[in-house]
Amino acid sequence: MSVPPAPLTTHAEPVMGTVFSFTAVHGDLPPDAVRAALTAACRILHHCDALFSTWDPASPVSRLRRGEAGLGQMPPEFTEVLRECRAAKEASGGWFDPWAMPGGFDPTGLVKGWATERALEELRGAGLSGALINGGGDVAVFGSPADGHRWRVGIRHPWRADALACVIEAGQGPVTSWGLEPAGGSGPWGPGACPRGGGVPPRASIAAVATSGPYERGAHLIDPATGRPASRAASATVTGPSLALADALATGVAVGGDEALAVVAGLDGYAAYLIRPDGSETDTGGIAFAR
Amino acid sequence: MRRAGWYLVTGAVAGFAGVLGFHVGGTAAPAVLGQPKGEIGTPSASTTPSAGPGAATGRARSAAGAVVQYGYGQLSVTVTVRGNQIVAVSDPVLHTIDQYSQQLAQQVIPMLRSEVLAAHSAQIHGVSGATYTSEAYAQSIQSALDKLHVR
Repeated sequence: MSVPPAPLTTHAEPVMGTVFSFTAVHGDLPPDAVRAALTAACRILHHCDALFSTWDPASPVSRLRRGEAGLGQMPPEFTEVLRECRAAKEASGGWFDPWAMPGGFDPTGLVKGWATERALEELRGAGLSGALINGGGDVAVFGSPADGHRWRVGIRHPWRADALACVIEAGQGPVTSWGLEPAGGSGPWGPGACPRGGGVPPRASIAAVATSGPYERGAHLIDPATGRPASRAASATVTGPSLALADALATGVAVGGDEALAVVAGLDGYAAYLIRPDGSETDTGGIAFAR
Repeated sequence: MRRAGWYLVTGAVAGFAGVLGFHVGGTAAPAVLGQPKGEIGTPSASTTPSAGPGAATGRARSAAGAVVQYGYGQLSVTVTVRGNQIVAVSDPVLHTIDQYSQQLAQQVIPMLRSEVLAAHSAQIHGVSGATYTSEAYAQSIQSALDKLHVR
């Protein structure tokens, strides 16, 4: 008999008003342990949703927004999310600003990526050999889908739900290993990745692909400078080692277009790909586009 | 390799020109761009023999997605999956309700990288895009991937 393919379990979980898709590569884990890990990862997502949902008037973040409760009364996760939000605001040059949203502090543009990362860490800690979580369009991976292969993430075409604008390769490649690659060589995004990072790979082996754009839910993108809906992109994709930051930066580039792309170009380990409203494209370099 | 043969998913994905954000008044009779390859109108589930090179080794499964009408038109699409990877996305059959949307489609779409992906290069594990609602997920390529991954 031929060798069976690497065992793999998929799961789709409705949460946060969208659907999270899981692809878990078993490695040496027995199937029931994989199931348990996926259950634990989903529990994390529902927990984060309960804390940070701005659609649920009873959630802690909603109470904070209405001024009914202070930061000191918030659950401990708020400390971390606030820190991430501050860092993302600074890294984005102000194009991502949860404090400039209508209705008060709104971390929605970062929380989904942050929660996805936490769920992925749960899967990695459980001993899976690889996993992909797609948080409603924002993707984080670790490991590899099969020996000698990298994760391949399609970027949705902004004007065609059935088509892809391109494919990006993510995660560790078949040949490279951390610490052995030449300076400026292959990072998690393939040859030529992270040119501004001096060849230093990110500490975490998580790789993230986040995309934002006005095509799914209309004018939800807010320009922090005006507090009004604005979008200077048809589609904005950011890659990097943290999905929380990539998610926030993608929102920033979707709002700020070329100007925000230039900001991402200056960040170590992060890269951006922009489709402008007129259909023209540009990117910062550092993304492994599949041919 | 225990590849399970070829799977064919035929569905309809709606929402083409609506996302461009232009408002165009009036409606005309539906026009069709390209060569129709799928059923137009009422979706149905069926089993079809595969015409692909893997036909001899596996059966084909066809699942039709619901047609959703919104925006300025709808698209019919065929996604072909081998094992757990998409190997082909058909040329979409576009039904727009106005001439202006068609013009926009012809002007804008060919400028993107996507022309290489109309072919057989889209072997992917996931799709990144603007956050979709639970309803839009049902029409997405990611949803098709999730269904076809299940063993």
